[in-house]
Amino acid sequence: MECRVLSIQSHVVRGYVGNKSASFPLQVLGFEVDSINSVQFSNHTGYSHWKGQVLTADELHVLYEGIKLNNVHHYDYVLTGYTRDTSFLEMVVDIVQELKRANPSLVYVCDPVLGDHGSMYVPQNLYPVYKNKVVPVADIITPNQFEAELLTGKNISTEKDAVEVMDLLHAMGPDTVVITSSDLPPRLGDRFLVCLGSQRHVRPDGSRTTERVRMEVPKVDAVFVGTGDLFAAMLLAWTHHYPNDLKTACEKTFSVMHHVIQRTISYAHGKKRLVINA
Amino acid sequence: MECRVLSIQSHVVRGYVGNKSATFPLQVLGFEVDSINSVQFSNHTGYPHWKGQVLTAEELNVLYEGIKLNKVNRYDYILTGYSRDKSFLEVVVDIIQELKKDNPSLVYVCDPVMGDHGAMYVPENLLPVYKNIVVPLADILTPNQFEAELLTGRKMNKEEDALEVMDLLHKMGPQTVVLTSTDLPSKQGDQFLVAFGSQKIVKPDGTNTSQKICIDIPKVDAVFVGTGDLFAAMLLAWTHHHPKDLKTACEKTVSVMHHVIKRTITYATEMAGPGKRPSPAQLELRMVQSKADIEDPAIVVEAKVLQKSLH
Repeated sequence: MECRVLSIQSHVVRGYVGNKSASFPLQVLGFEVDSINSVQFSNHTGYSHWKGQVLTADELHVLYEGIKLNNVHHYDYVLTGYTRDTSFLEMVVDIVQELKRANPSLVYVCDPVLGDHGSMYVPQNLYPVYKNKVVPVADIITPNQFEAELLTGKNISTEKDAVEVMDLLHAMGPDTVVITSSDLPPRLGDRFLVCLGSQRHVRPDGSRTTERVRMEVPKVDAVFVGTGDLFAAMLLAWTHHYPNDLKTACEKTFSVMHHVIQRTISYAHGKKRLVINA
Repeated sequence: MECRVLSIQSHVVRGYVGNKSATFPLQVLGFEVDSINSVQFSNHTGYPHWKGQVLTAEELNVLYEGIKLNKVNRYDYILTGYSRDKSFLEVVVDIIQELKKDNPSLVYVCDPVMGDHGAMYVPENLLPVYKNIVVPLADILTPNQFEAELLTGRKMNKEEDALEVMDLLHKMGPQTVVLTSTDLPSKQGDQFLVAFGSQKIVKPDGTNTSQKICIDIPKVDAVFVGTGDLFAAMLLAWTHHHPKDLKTACEKTVSVMHHVIKRTITYATEMAGPGKRPSPAQLELRMVQSKADIEDPAIVVEAKVLQKSLH
């Protein structure tokens, strides 16, 4: 398999968020991962302390220029996640557009990180950039319910709403949408949460079809950081192997998440000192 | 296995040098790798073009402070390689000294990158820092012949010289020294280069001894970048699993190198096409494709035990 991913995300010295969360799993699955680190922090911002440096939009451009000057700016995938800076995000969009010109079959996997549980946790001025510039160039997006509602301006109270929202998102650009978590009532009980996915296909005869999937995922009583980044990376991998089978791609992706999370929670509880904050 | 490595090396967006070369193989082998990127460049400096940013000594200190404030500054290994800045190297030393105070059994694996084939390719003012401050702190050292000669002030013309140089390096600090390549003639002919290793061991009765080995390594007709970084990382891993058996640790390390390099040259030659020399981009190590070899390297070299001597 000769598949090259450009991943533009955070780097933390210690721990697994951003590029630290995405790179190793993708490499283990045989993907070549080129990574531009948008920041270098000691650790993620959920710890008691964090320190480090950020990459400016200019510096991002300089790095991309280096790749381009060597004529190696050919990628099969681009992967982006958490960003806090509009000019940085706009530079990312320029890069994606140029890479798509170089390779029209490039797939842009975008986690439109804006917020969760009813509130934004990035600067508000990122919202129009995502809505008007980023999502239109994305091929696969992984919003949570809050982000999906924000991007479409439509609330989700029922599964029917969710399907409509995913169709609105398709109309904005991406052929594959996965709502990674929602407040919809699970059929399996309140120890589960509901996730939904939608993928548009063009059949050989030229007609269009949409595959819809619904998953109920066991809730875990802990706050994890980096899981969304791992999810987007693994969805990239499994949609690569199952480009026309969102059901299987999602089952594999959610299953990986489950195993990693289970192992993490067992380990965290097993230690004598409480380490969930570290 | 719960083993945490702090690796302070370069990051390149594309390709495999520095932390990009060291991290994936160590993670594949089950090590937790914390990585501080000393630079972020588009690619290594052997390409026609390269662009990027460097981390200052101050910024390095700030990152370490973050780790320390969270009380997670506890490591089993430190790994360092190519550095160009004296003040950066000095902050690295301060960090290591502090980490060793916190964990006296910490092992510092140091590739004292200064040059090769008779010439320095880092600023000259790094030599005294390596010689006087860095090497004394190191536990495992992976110099090439030129670097070993520079550090000890002693030239190597024959095997005896190599053994003496390694003993001189032991005296400076590290219990484990591997001369990763030399110009000394190989008994297997000129298609081979000779590497040496020496490890000080304390016997159960308290006396000191050392195990000295040599390995003949098949030469490859190409310039690879990042192989030294991979070597140091894999030596860290295999000495971890074989702490008193340098012969086995080196056989595994050199074998991994062989598999990765062979896979790389095959791919690069194919990409370049008949009669063409592969480009730096084509010669990037086939790291991801070598995962199985990294996990469980088939042994393709045999190290010769030279002599055990008393000190």
